[in-house]
Amino acid sequence: MRKLLHPPHALGAIVLALALAIPLVAQAPQGGTEGGVLGPVNALGQEVRRAPVPTGPPPRLPDGTIDLGDGVWIGGGPVNNIAQGLKKGEELPLLPAARALMASRQETDDPHLWCLPMGVPRTTPYPFRFVPNYTHRKPTHMFILHEGNIHSYRQIFMDGRKHPPELDPTWFGHSIGWFEKDTLVIDTVGFNDKFWFDRQGTPHTEQLHTIERWTRVTMGTLVNEVTIDDPGAFSRPFTVTFNARLSPPGDEIMEYICQENNQFGIAGGHANPFAGK
Amino acid sequence: MTRMLGVVVTGVILLWSGDALGHHSFSSEYDGEKTFKISGVVTKVEWTNPHVRFYVDVRETDGKVTNWNLELASPSALARNGWNSRTLKAGDEVTVQGYSGKAVPTRGAARSVTVADGRSLFAGTADDVGGAPR
Repeated sequence: MRKLLHPPHALGAIVLALALAIPLVAQAPQGGTEGGVLGPVNALGQEVRRAPVPTGPPPRLPDGTIDLGDGVWIGGGPVNNIAQGLKKGEELPLLPAARALMASRQETDDPHLWCLPMGVPRTTPYPFRFVPNYTHRKPTHMFILHEGNIHSYRQIFMDGRKHPPELDPTWFGHSIGWFEKDTLVIDTVGFNDKFWFDRQGTPHTEQLHTIERWTRVTMGTLVNEVTIDDPGAFSRPFTVTFNARLSPPGDEIMEYICQENNQFGIAGGHANPFAGK
Repeated sequence: MTRMLGVVVTGVILLWSGDALGHHSFSSEYDGEKTFKISGVVTKVEWTNPHVRFYVDVRETDGKVTNWNLELASPSALARNGWNSRTLKAGDEVTVQGYSGKAVPTRGAARSVTVADGRSLFAGTADDVGGAPR
């Protein structure tokens, strides 16, 4: 694991996040450029009209910690292209082998399309929720519940433990977390190499190490600044930033069992690349 | 100035509302240039993930009946727009426009669904029904 330099914390991060907020809103749709002769090609009924994002200060728990759990969030990661989260003018530092792997990938082989998990830091058009768990002594875990896709949870250990020295690779890896002032930091290793960062097929290896820094800069905006370090796929660590928005009060996570009736591929004549594997 | 601000705010809302591309990549399945318009009777509605599907018997000019398989958004997206599993039922007469599957032309991505009384379903929100037809 490469040692990572953490970006400046607290106030500096918040100022940076606020400065980035407007352009990041503009990039949130991520890939909505497809069109047909009838106009939009999004699945009919998919576009949910949402109220304006609430502003004002973020709420806090009685102990002063930023409250991440009082609503469901949309966004906060890449969908179409992780490079959209880079600073202007930057490019992904792909190693030649990773670039070749990416070029060889077919769009329809994206595991996500076949109801496999999205990994980190990819997101979906569906909400997620932070759920802190406490005992009578201390915080123990933060769970992130994802509606889709697929219906998933992430488990972040908040009890001060370290990563085990050896891990069996998994889709969401092994996560430890802590708060640095108003920022929830999630450090994750132990990923498998199966998920794609985005629809472009941006790859990674089992050496992937992510550090997410979630900062609720206003009531309705949550900035996720993710440092990605993977010496198997990238020549250096890099950071991408994405915004999540608070869904209106009353919106809740709903059931989304992707495997129930996934007919992806049939209309286009594509076979499931994971069948029998 | 107020009007200008309104335009800017509306733009932001619309951008945000476009964050929902759904489960798949459209172009790998459907042809944005190959459209269809069919009328027939709904035979089945599957309120399932990742996409709601409904099936329509369409009588061709030669009398042959073909069952079309048509795709909508996810149940959760439709529900957030006010639609539910009772919105469209087997037996309803519908006219559907959309894009055809690249490999299977009778599989389609619906873009408009109109029932016999003229109501437009699944476009926009359920609250909008009764307004101007889209």
